[in-house]
Amino acid sequence: MNTTLGFAFTVLGLSASVLGCLGGAYALITNKTHLLKPVRQWAWLVFLAGVGAFVVMEVALFQRDYSVGFVQKVGSDATPPLYNFAALWSALEGSLIMWTLMLGGYIAAIMLKFKERLNDPLFGWALVVMLAVSGFFFALLVGPSNPFVDTAIPANFVGPGPNPLLQNHILVAFHPPMLYLGYVGFTVPFAFAIAALITGRVGEGWLVETRRWTVAAWGFLTFGIVLGAWWSYEVLGWGGYWAWDPVENASLLPWLTGTAYIHSVMVQERRGMLRVWNLSLLCATFSLTILGTFLTRSGVIDSVHAFADGAIGPWLLAFFAVVSGTSVGLIAWRGDRLRSPGAIDSPVSREASFLANNVLFGALAFVVLLGTVFPLLAESFDGTRLTIGRPYFDSMARPIAFVMLFLMASAPVLPWRKASNELLSERLFWPAIAAVGSMALAIILGGRGFYPMLTFGLGGFAAGAAVRQVVLATRRQGWRGFVGRTNGGMIVHIGVVLLAVGIAASESYKTDRTETLLPGQTMTVAGNTFTYEGLAADETSQRVKIFANVRINGDEVYTPGTSLYLTQGMNVATPSVKPGFTEDLFLVLDQVPDDRNPEGPVRLRVVVRPMITWLWIGGILMSVGTLLALFPGQRRRGTEAVSAAVTEPVPV
Amino acid sequence: MNSMIGRWLVIGLAVVGLLGFATFDSNEPETEGERIQRLHESFACPQCDGQSVAESNAAVAAEIRNSITNEVADGATDTEIRDQLIAGYGGDVLLNPPSEGFSALIWILPVVVAVFGVGGLVAVIRRDDGGSRTASDADAALVAEAREQS
Repeated sequence: MNTTLGFAFTVLGLSASVLGCLGGAYALITNKTHLLKPVRQWAWLVFLAGVGAFVVMEVALFQRDYSVGFVQKVGSDATPPLYNFAALWSALEGSLIMWTLMLGGYIAAIMLKFKERLNDPLFGWALVVMLAVSGFFFALLVGPSNPFVDTAIPANFVGPGPNPLLQNHILVAFHPPMLYLGYVGFTVPFAFAIAALITGRVGEGWLVETRRWTVAAWGFLTFGIVLGAWWSYEVLGWGGYWAWDPVENASLLPWLTGTAYIHSVMVQERRGMLRVWNLSLLCATFSLTILGTFLTRSGVIDSVHAFADGAIGPWLLAFFAVVSGTSVGLIAWRGDRLRSPGAIDSPVSREASFLANNVLFGALAFVVLLGTVFPLLAESFDGTRLTIGRPYFDSMARPIAFVMLFLMASAPVLPWRKASNELLSERLFWPAIAAVGSMALAIILGGRGFYPMLTFGLGGFAAGAAVRQVVLATRRQGWRGFVGRTNGGMIVHIGVVLLAVGIAASESYKTDRTETLLPGQTMTVAGNTFTYEGLAADETSQRVKIFANVRINGDEVYTPGTSLYLTQGMNVATPSVKPGFTEDLFLVLDQVPDDRNPEGPVRLRVVVRPMITWLWIGGILMSVGTLLALFPGQRRRGTEAVSAAVTEPVPV
Repeated sequence: MNSMIGRWLVIGLAVVGLLGFATFDSNEPETEGERIQRLHESFACPQCDGQSVAESNAAVAAEIRNSITNEVADGATDTEIRDQLIAGYGGDVLLNPPSEGFSALIWILPVVVAVFGVGGLVAVIRRDDGGSRTASDADAALVAEAREQS
């Protein structure tokens, strides 16, 4: 029953997408507006199909309907409800269902948003592009990775359940959906970009239309990535939060180009410049979400959390080729209309800073992509097997990040067109004082070392510039000084500074120690004492957890352990973290006595990371800032349709 | 004007002074524990997809950790430890790729991109104003509508 119904929904999604896409393209090419109406009905059916497939799969998971192939793969009698719900996105096929659900949701949302402009060719083409994309994903569900395969149930089958790593922390319920909302969300601006190219309306109109959609998608992606880092820290028990693993890199790539885009788009809105560049960035962002899916879902790259499945690899690669080929072709075709009408007057100006920002984000994206795919290239070139790990990425990203922090301080105070030295001196004075002040404070608190100190200084500088903008705006506009793109953006910047400080302090000043302890013995790490008080066990139907009772500083007891997931026979480390605003104490049980002898020695690893909590606070602040940026702000000057020369004097 | 220059001189001196102090005050010689930790972090666990041996719980990672600790106790240099591990586990035990042969590209390409990026930036900033500044009526209408909505 569930298999038939679910499969019917995916077939409905595929057919409605294809019919809507072809019908829409025909109506738009032949200018037959009355034929556009059925396209919208097909689009609503796509939304319905996405919701239907999702609901059917969730129902099947809760009914433990093992005749559904996907449920047999990830379902289990023992999985608690929350993780059973989240099991839908714990493997490839289900995550594609989530993709189509969200894409259908975005399609429905833009139809509601543009309901008065449904016959506008710009909107029509955007809808056609989105239906083409949804057609591709439904085709994957119908063809090579069908989750609704009718499968014979082995005798006494109770199901393996999702990967144990995906069922021991609440963040599993939030991190993947957030990330996907971001990935899929970039389809909307991409569709409008393609529509602008096809209709030839490549002015600034489509940018203004999609601004909020882009910012929202970026916000989801940001939050999703931060939640992923947090999950990795709380669950994986390796003592860190970001491993430059291919799957992490795949999520970072579209984030980097997307971040470049939401900055450089302001140059186009304001001055009409960089049209080709902005279209390319947007198309690159969307293409990179597909390429990232290919790299991590086709099995070409091994990763801790890639779902290897060779079957859809060629499909994704072909789709990536079509998307990037179409984008490049259309941009070349519209080359004459895309010529920029303006020029940059001075390197010391807002627009020049945005350009420099783009070069930095582009360079970082290149380095991350290179480091991710280089082992593949090297192996196919001469069979060399090599590892590109954290030291490489760190050494490449560090200098770029420092220049970015510097630009975060200088760019927001710079006016458009050009700035005088006096103006710069005045506007940068307080941010510079903040920089000196934060360095001095860090030294008083015991901070040393070149790189962390540079981070604190540049962080203070950037935070100073952001606070200056918000203070001036609130003085002028009251509470509205916190909302709108500029002010919300500054809140995001403050979040970035906290994140940078959290990374610098927790990496530079971390202490990592492993010792073997007998019951009653104590180890001391960075001024904290850890007393091992004995081994204990805790058993549920799902898992057996063996844990050590460790008393920290003679006070509370923490319980790092390992859990044996019964249905999968897999052992998973379960770290225990004592968080704090000044430092986190991270405990991992490295080794228990073979016979679980409570009198025997255990190996305890303790990582002390100062200020890592500020990384999460920074990430949350970035999301809050994004929300504030989505509220309509008060514009001092309206958006100009073309770049007009700025004639009035620059306000001080 | 002069007061402006003086003000920034003071700020600049303060920054250099604080950075210099923070850099050189911490220059204590590396302890043996710190050296072992640094070495652990620079080698990959061969079975763990790019995790360092410091981070991994795998048996082979523990084996490499022990061998590094023993070598350090025997007074081996970093290069000797490195060569020994490559001989035992293959070139992909290095987390930082070597800068010779084909893999030198991974260090060269970013430099090439940086040069082109900066060159392109300078070229765009210096470019002359050209082209027209007219928008189509459709553009203006779209902007007007978007303004109304927001």
